[in-house]
Amino acid sequence: MKLSKVKVTIAGLFSLALVAGCGSEKEENASLKMWVAPNAAQEVFWTSVINEWNAIPGNKPVEFTTIPATGSSEEAVMSALASGTEPDITTNIFSGFAAQLHGLNQIVDFSKLEGYSELIDKRQMDNIMTSWDYDGAKPVIPIYVNPVMYWWRTDILKENGFDKIPTSYDEIYALSEKFTIPNKQYAVQVAAGKNWWDRWFDFVTFYYAQSDGMQYVENNQAAYDNEAGLEVLGFIDHMFANKWANYDFGANDPLTTGELIGAVRGPWDISRYEQQHPEILKTIKLGPIPTKDGVSDKKTATFADSKGLVLFKSSDMQDDAWKFINWVYSNPKFDLEWIKATSQPPARGDLTSNPIFSDYYKNNPLAKGFAEYVDVAIPSASTSETVAVQRSMTQMLERIIFTDSEVKSSADKSVQEVNKILGK
Amino acid sequence: MIKGLNIKESAQGGLIASTYMGYSLVFWIFPFVWLLILTFSDWQFIGTPSFSGLDNFFNVIQDPLFWKSMKNVFRFLMYYLPMVIFASLFFALGLKKIKYGKSFIALSFLLANVSSGVAYSIVFSKLFSDTGPINDFMNSVFGFTIPWFTNPDFAMFSIAIVITWKFVGYYGLIFYSGLVSIPKEIYDAAELDQTGPVKRLFKITLPLMNAQIIMVVVLAITVAFGIFTEPYLITGGGPLESTTTPMVVMYEAAFQRMEPSWAATMSIFVAIISFGLIWLLRKLFEKNIEIV
Repeated sequence: MKLSKVKVTIAGLFSLALVAGCGSEKEENASLKMWVAPNAAQEVFWTSVINEWNAIPGNKPVEFTTIPATGSSEEAVMSALASGTEPDITTNIFSGFAAQLHGLNQIVDFSKLEGYSELIDKRQMDNIMTSWDYDGAKPVIPIYVNPVMYWWRTDILKENGFDKIPTSYDEIYALSEKFTIPNKQYAVQVAAGKNWWDRWFDFVTFYYAQSDGMQYVENNQAAYDNEAGLEVLGFIDHMFANKWANYDFGANDPLTTGELIGAVRGPWDISRYEQQHPEILKTIKLGPIPTKDGVSDKKTATFADSKGLVLFKSSDMQDDAWKFINWVYSNPKFDLEWIKATSQPPARGDLTSNPIFSDYYKNNPLAKGFAEYVDVAIPSASTSETVAVQRSMTQMLERIIFTDSEVKSSADKSVQEVNKILGK
Repeated sequence: MIKGLNIKESAQGGLIASTYMGYSLVFWIFPFVWLLILTFSDWQFIGTPSFSGLDNFFNVIQDPLFWKSMKNVFRFLMYYLPMVIFASLFFALGLKKIKYGKSFIALSFLLANVSSGVAYSIVFSKLFSDTGPINDFMNSVFGFTIPWFTNPDFAMFSIAIVITWKFVGYYGLIFYSGLVSIPKEIYDAAELDQTGPVKRLFKITLPLMNAQIIMVVVLAITVAFGIFTEPYLITGGGPLESTTTPMVVMYEAAFQRMEPSWAATMSIFVAIISFGLIWLLRKLFEKNIEIV
């Protein structure tokens, strides 16, 4: 008797839980769900923006949470799509992942929405948007464009008799010859690390600079075995062959320990250095990415760590979501708030000419240095095979660094591998 | 009356067992069935998987990176097994000799086993980097450095050192339990026969610890097929893919290349090969030891 009461109670509880769990979330007063990058500065920004939006009568309320903790944002988004728990909007999408989502027909093409062209014009984003084109579709609104630049320790440069920042390979060779003590100190970092994503900060960056912004994968074909690619590999090869470069600096930042004079860094490093190494930051000067011939009249192209925002096709509030996105990005006031909160240049082409930003950049010369390069900063290639491409690039570099492999044969091998993958 | 009691008891038993059944259903049977579905289908996280026959199996068979990663597991085992067995045995023998603070020492070694893989991977990559403190010391004392993680022939050995550090306390305690269960009388008898310490170790201690040694080797093999954090964070699978493990290949296939079906099929291969290796090992070396 008692047992059947227990059974009934458990069954009842299960039924209640099922009823509660299966209830429709799409109620009339449902709010827009948004995921933002798990980053304190960005959370501060979105809290302020969303509070302002939600306070306007008649607006569909927006609720944001950070992207759930998993190995990566991509993993979290794909898991959510698989289980049907994705939000309406998510930020923190890089170009390669956007290509995958677009290929899977999961994200809305913004260029087909009313007001898109006006928004792009207003933000002077035409140049920026060319890197975010997916077979003519524009399914991403880039939020920020972080050009990577060379940071130089001017104090150590001066100690070694260099008053001018090196910009050509020959100048770097001369500096390396003078400064290098193997396993102790090196002039520059030419290999950023061992993981596939590190290629963004070495080969891809050097390649964009040397090729004046040519894509390394275009029309589903790898192209980095061209003259520019071979120049870059030759430079890296020369540096390692002379023991002027190191592949492993551990988890330390070698620029702060004096093990390096120059290295690739991004705008996100400004606030880190402000908090942890303010004295060293005072000695830092920005320089363009080194190329074979050094500086010219034109700005040197560079890699952009750039992330954007997408709207999922599964959203049943697409109009409201677009209204919100349009509202946020039509008002430069929010871009200024963004810069102040994150130090990262927002994706717009008038950062150095729009008076609303002038005070900020006057007081933050390093940030201004980065902002000036936004228009020549190119994101990762729009391929859904980013990992495979950059894994192959890693092998290409490691063949040059650790074996007797020739630059040309190593590049050819990598391009063949990548083309085979892209052709599948 | 007795019949009624039996029914009541079996219902109660069923109710209690149902929690475990439910757990197995959700966390074991469902993923397993889903894994089987994935291996015979093409799916990219979204929509319904489409049947693809044996395509995934053929693709995995022809994937050089996967087989390289499998070869890397055997390279890892070549370094790891002797290193971890020797170190753990040494730890267990030492622990047996210690009179005071036994629990404290045992717990100290076990701490490595419960430490966060991410945290100690960062610590080890700092310690062993080309410009790190260990190489600094070696350079100043011996005049040379060791490319711990940057030499393709050396990197897997260094990963094996890190994993040995992690498991030496755990395996050491397993060996210790074997050591203390050997009756003292056997050693007394050996002493009367004037058996030397080396002979005692090889003729008494190690044979009587067969069960513990096999258990440690089985655990070490499962660890070898499951390494992920250390190569992923410390070496990125390099240099020249010398530390890429099957778990790294599967993770990248599933969550970065968006090919979960491919990754699921790889996991079937990994399961079969690791199970086969364990079966072979037990068949060849496991002995039924009874101390009477």
